[in-house]
Amino acid sequence: MITFENFSFRYEERDEFTLRDINLTVQTGELILLTGRSGCGKTTLIRSLNGLIPHFYPGEIKGNISLDGQSLLELKPSELAGKVGTVFQNPRSQFFMTDTTRELAFGCENMGFSREKTIDRIVKSVTDLRLSDYLNRSIFDLSSGEKQQIAVGSVYALLPKVYIFDEPSANLDYDATKRLAEIMKHLKQDGYTILVVEHRFYYLKELLDWAFLIQEGGIKQEFTREQFCRIPDEMRISYGLRTVYPERDAREYKAKSNVRESGSVLKVEGLSFAYRKEPDILRNINFEACEGDVIGILGHNGAGKTTLLSIMTGLLKEKSGAVYYNGKKLSPRQRRNLSYLVMQDTDYQLFASSVEEELSLGIKEDCAEKVTETLDALELNAYRECHPASLSGGQKQRVTIGAAIVKDSPVIYFDEPTSGLDYDSMVRVSRLIEQLASAGVIIFVVSHDFEFITRTCSEVLQLDGQDSIKNQVLTPEILLSISKQYFE
Amino acid sequence: MEENIKKLIIQKQFKRTAALDPRCKAALLILIGCVSYFLNGEVVSLILVVTLALFIAIGNGVRWAVKMLVFYIIVAYLNALLRYVSIPVLSVIMSVFGVTILKLVPIAMMGIWTLRTTHMDDLMVSLQRMRLPQSVTIPLVVMFRYIPTLRIEYRMICNTMDIRGISDTFWKRIIHSISTVEYILVPLLMRCLKVTDELAASGTTRGLELEEKRYALNHVRFSWPEYAVTILGIAFLAALLFLDYTSIGEIIIWRA
Repeated sequence: MITFENFSFRYEERDEFTLRDINLTVQTGELILLTGRSGCGKTTLIRSLNGLIPHFYPGEIKGNISLDGQSLLELKPSELAGKVGTVFQNPRSQFFMTDTTRELAFGCENMGFSREKTIDRIVKSVTDLRLSDYLNRSIFDLSSGEKQQIAVGSVYALLPKVYIFDEPSANLDYDATKRLAEIMKHLKQDGYTILVVEHRFYYLKELLDWAFLIQEGGIKQEFTREQFCRIPDEMRISYGLRTVYPERDAREYKAKSNVRESGSVLKVEGLSFAYRKEPDILRNINFEACEGDVIGILGHNGAGKTTLLSIMTGLLKEKSGAVYYNGKKLSPRQRRNLSYLVMQDTDYQLFASSVEEELSLGIKEDCAEKVTETLDALELNAYRECHPASLSGGQKQRVTIGAAIVKDSPVIYFDEPTSGLDYDSMVRVSRLIEQLASAGVIIFVVSHDFEFITRTCSEVLQLDGQDSIKNQVLTPEILLSISKQYFE
Repeated sequence: MEENIKKLIIQKQFKRTAALDPRCKAALLILIGCVSYFLNGEVVSLILVVTLALFIAIGNGVRWAVKMLVFYIIVAYLNALLRYVSIPVLSVIMSVFGVTILKLVPIAMMGIWTLRTTHMDDLMVSLQRMRLPQSVTIPLVVMFRYIPTLRIEYRMICNTMDIRGISDTFWKRIIHSISTVEYILVPLLMRCLKVTDELAASGTTRGLELEEKRYALNHVRFSWPEYAVTILGIAFLAALLFLDYTSIGEIIIWRA
């Protein structure tokens, strides 16, 4: 049993309390969902549970947290290691070891277990979570879904009583999310207590016992599963929550008609690609996009979405086929000049020392006026002089989109623009894309986010399909078939 | 089923010389580094590189050994060619540059091979057995873990630079070399900060800071093969240093 008693926390470097007067009791064996807008204090709440607060992130504490009667505040994070296990959001940066077997062993080795005990624990973790296919692999060769499973396995080997998941599905595709839900179900059946912080919580709807809505550092409301699944839409949106039933969006989809029939056309014919000595990743891809189209690129992890983006943005050269813009065949270099890519990890894309400088970087002509206009349009004017690295995730993303606008790219690609975003930020990205599209930009979006796809895209390109792959105008029927594939 | 999994877990991935204790590899690395700098003779340097290549080839590193050996021979040959070019200043600079690369080859060869053939947990155990405090071992291990990531991050940053059109041609990189370095370093450092922070949090919640005695999946011991290799290595390097002072050190093999 976990109890928070009048718990408040303030980070050392902040003036205000991030968590205020939290009173919360979690019974052993329950699955709890913590949700709410970005920055509401969800992550802080779980940090205080796994001991990172106050030892890793120092600050001021009021009240108490206890696990089975023992106060957690007196324990160091390392002493908590065998009791509370945490799976973090980013599968890439939570691996300490470079191969999977040793990653599974990492916790046990830290605890000073003998070699035989460590091996037994790995065996248990591998058999219970069905990880045997991933043993002895380099972590750099795993997909994010596989990495996330190993991360769970590594925590599982320590046999903690409480599991914490911090936005575990943010980087996963639908299949991997299903697998994650299965693992959680398994853990729940075995009587472990599970706390999940999540924006896209649809996969938990059959597993959760309680859902807590957190707002401005306090628990605003608590729901049972039935209540949570039945929150009316207006109320849900006012709380900034995603939907529990993304598949229902498919039925209500209204086709977005693209009025523009003229204008520039980007056309791809018979595109295929393979890395050296490996089988084809992409085969016979054909599509045509006009100004104002928003095309969703869908497919499971490893279907070649990122590779397709790399080819389209001119970073890779196609094996066969061609890309035409207004009837003219493009070389990789010409494609590079034509396009802009907004990456999932925006840290890679920010080079300058201020937001203003960032937008004008790499542009020869005088663009001061355009920069100001763009900053206004993206509500970034207040941050003009700020260092890009000091901004929040969503703001950083808008800066990179801003750079694309100033560069005047006729084609913009987005790679997973909504991973880890709450409802409001997702809607904001969606609106921004609509605005860009109506200004005549051709837009491609790689996404796993069904809610976002239904809201934003006018056409889809499904890379999972067989043989010749073409773009399709999005219709309720197509959405329905995608939703079946994703959610059933 | 369980037996198979157990077999997979304890399966030795590195064989023969690659399975030596990390302490032994580190000692050899340091010794080779020093000796490589003091050797002047062309024959003895070549003997060092060839022997090292054999040593690495035995331990899961055939391709790497061949690659570095070929690289060494090409650079040595090109360096010899420099004698026939006489541009004032530039010739001297190029020659110094060439010799430095030749001296670095054995170190890079041994260093990167060590990096590739050492399990992180073996490394952590052997560092602990050397009685190094955690404040030294943890940063070392994080660094060890971060090096392979660095290459991936670097490639990502170069890709985005290409798309943004900043320093996207060889020419621009030469002309604006300082800003190019800045454009690479800024995101790299930002990523580095973020990743190390997340890594540390993930490690801490799994008990990284506990000072228990560790046991790795492999048996980590400094036993007779390690002693033998270290002693043989020292003897071999001493012999090379000695040969360098004899007339063998003066033989010139690289001529055009």
